[in-house]
Amino acid sequence: MKTGRDTMRPALPGMMPGLLLMAGVLLATPPLARVGCAAAGPVEIVCITCHGGQAGHLGAPVALWRQSVHAGNGVACNDCHGGDPNGKNAEEAMDPARGFRGVPKEIEIPAVCGNCHVGVMNDYLASEHGKALGSGGPTCVTCHGNHKVVRASLDLINEKDCSRCHSYDRAKLIRDAMVRTEGLIVSAGEAVTAFKDEGADVERLEKGLFSLRNRFHTLFHDQDVEKVRRESARIDAELAKIDSVLKGISETRRHRKVVGGVAVAGALLAALLFHLLKKTYD
Amino acid sequence: MSILGKAVDWLDLRIGIRELVKTSVTDYLLPRNINAWYSLGSILMVGFALQVVTGILLLIHYVPDSEKAYASVNAIMNVVPYGWFIRMCHAVGSNLMMAAALLHMFSVLFMGSYKRPRELNWLSGFILLNLIMGLCLTGYLLPWSQLSFWATTVATNAAGAIPVAGPYLVEFLRGGKLVGAPTLGRFFALHVAVLPAAMVGLVGMHLFLLERIGISTPPFGQADSRSNRKGDAFRHDAHPGGLPFFPNYLLQDLTSISVYLAIFLAVVFFDPYLFFPKEAFLPANPYLTPAHIKPEWYFLPNYQTLKLFPSELLGLAAQGVAMTLLALLPFFDRGEERHPMKRPVFLACTVGGILLWFGLMIWGHYS
Amino acid sequence: MENAGRRRFLTLCLGGVAAAGAAAGAWPVFRYLAPRAAGDSGAKVKIPEKDVPEGGAKFFEFAGASAVLIRKRGGELAALSAVCTHLGCIVQWQREKQEFLCPCHAGRFTAEGAVISGPPPKALEKLPFTVADGTVTIG
Repeated sequence: MKTGRDTMRPALPGMMPGLLLMAGVLLATPPLARVGCAAAGPVEIVCITCHGGQAGHLGAPVALWRQSVHAGNGVACNDCHGGDPNGKNAEEAMDPARGFRGVPKEIEIPAVCGNCHVGVMNDYLASEHGKALGSGGPTCVTCHGNHKVVRASLDLINEKDCSRCHSYDRAKLIRDAMVRTEGLIVSAGEAVTAFKDEGADVERLEKGLFSLRNRFHTLFHDQDVEKVRRESARIDAELAKIDSVLKGISETRRHRKVVGGVAVAGALLAALLFHLLKKTYD
Repeated sequence: MSILGKAVDWLDLRIGIRELVKTSVTDYLLPRNINAWYSLGSILMVGFALQVVTGILLLIHYVPDSEKAYASVNAIMNVVPYGWFIRMCHAVGSNLMMAAALLHMFSVLFMGSYKRPRELNWLSGFILLNLIMGLCLTGYLLPWSQLSFWATTVATNAAGAIPVAGPYLVEFLRGGKLVGAPTLGRFFALHVAVLPAAMVGLVGMHLFLLERIGISTPPFGQADSRSNRKGDAFRHDAHPGGLPFFPNYLLQDLTSISVYLAIFLAVVFFDPYLFFPKEAFLPANPYLTPAHIKPEWYFLPNYQTLKLFPSELLGLAAQGVAMTLLALLPFFDRGEERHPMKRPVFLACTVGGILLWFGLMIWGHYS
Repeated sequence: MENAGRRRFLTLCLGGVAAAGAAAGAWPVFRYLAPRAAGDSGAKVKIPEKDVPEGGAKFFEFAGASAVLIRKRGGELAALSAVCTHLGCIVQWQREKQEFLCPCHAGRFTAEGAVISGPPPKALEKLPFTVADGTVTIG
């Protein structure tokens, strides 16, 4: 029997033939022309091959998905919709016996997303939004969208979206309580990325920040204003630790530049002295 | 008598050191109108020495294993005290050495120093330039980053355009169908043993030729800038009445070297990332081609040439022809005149060639 | 002779610059080669054995990161890093299944830390520990 969770693993083996194909292409095509435009990201699967060319609602999700955080991390169609991404034809690819579930019913949506996002699903189900599932309450896709899912941010709590169902008052209180922390997380994230691009070993910071960000984002599904304030303060304290490490790295960089300035000045002084000494022999 | 004096006496008795110093240092004469461009060779020697020293230091912590290479370089950059400094010196040094080598070559071109009887100086210098390129190319793979992996994939792939033997040659270069652990093994051996040894040997030969034939006279500021070489007999260019190498020109060398070191240190301390796109700090992933990967600046003209030609073979052939012409330049450019202003055709070709080279580099960078 | 004095002065200055340069170059090389003290020593955590019931888990901070001590059914103890190897979230102990679950992307690990399913690339790091007089010492 195939449980929901089992469908997660085939994603990688499913990519293998594609990878081998890519390896073959690597040798067979003009390499230098290829390099500039080679797309990063997952290899084409049969779902994309067929649906990518279709018009209307059957093809539209492909373009939307390409812009999603899922596409960037190799999470493909079959990870949510099931089925066999290596099927030889439409029947095989979308065979219910191969786990194809098509478009999930509204009530199934949290379980589909929760397949991977376990913690978030539990937070959602415990929230007032989750309790209203099936009786007019929002599902995951109501706020996050479906195919073009982007990294969650505080922007998801906004008057336009919230007031589709209720007044924005309480949502605004929660948002205001979180704005500062979200800002800190975003700026710490940018600093970590900048250092990473310069070869600093920030893996631990990066992971710590990701974990913190997730802890913080669980609050997004909470409607208890006091709890949100309390937890945000705790997360702020953790962020301060990350920030002090980042400050330490900046300080080291600054220190190196000072030393570098002295070294360059020394070399220039030597050049001047050698030049003057040479002139005494002219 | 001082200890130093005794030591010199001891050596003098055995190898005649005083005479050696006299003939090849203090009484070794250079043309009076020698200029600062002649110190680029010394700069390159210092640059190479720095590469050897920093390279040996890197070897202490580097692990040439595709599973561990990236982590070891990451540790050098972040954990080992001053490891970042040694590594940056090595990486920045390679780029600056390449720049200095090109300048050296351009100056020799403009002053016509490559001409008869210095064909061998030119040829050995040309091979040295290629060895530097080989060292840059093989060293690029060693950190086993995304940049290393894909740049090497692309570079080795170019050999595939050669008819018949191409595909096998690519496989032979890589030690397998794709870049992988066997590629790292052979590139490592080339980078730390074969190429440096060849480099040392050729530098020795280059210096021997320089010393044996004598320094060429710059064509500038002379009534007659034609080559003064007549006849078929070997003759050392002694420059009677010229400047001694020691102390006069050595001080020029040291001035130039200090300026070079200032530039070098400025890059190392202030912007080493000039030569490091962010892919250099991601571990190699054979399943994920980065979106915008470009070769280093000195290979950009080659890269762009390959892209411009309709077939890769043509692009490769064009580069081969250009390189061969450059290597054999002194064998067909046999005129006596050496002043660039009195050689309009040569000047036009050289300036055009350099502009083309820079143009292709810039085009390659922005394409 | 004026030149001689100037030369002596310049040579002296250059000697000074060269000595400073040599020292500034030698220091990084010496530090690069000097043996390093083993890091992370001394940071030990003590937990009373009775804090971890059979089948249960106790989370604590170890060397600046989250760690967990579990007692498997049957009484055997295990100490692991609680940081998921995928993106760094803190794993949860699922007592009824006797395995770890990462709430962020559903990575699952056995009680020994090995990956069962999900995106984690490698197992949870094992931490060394000793048990004496009813106290577990980690580190």
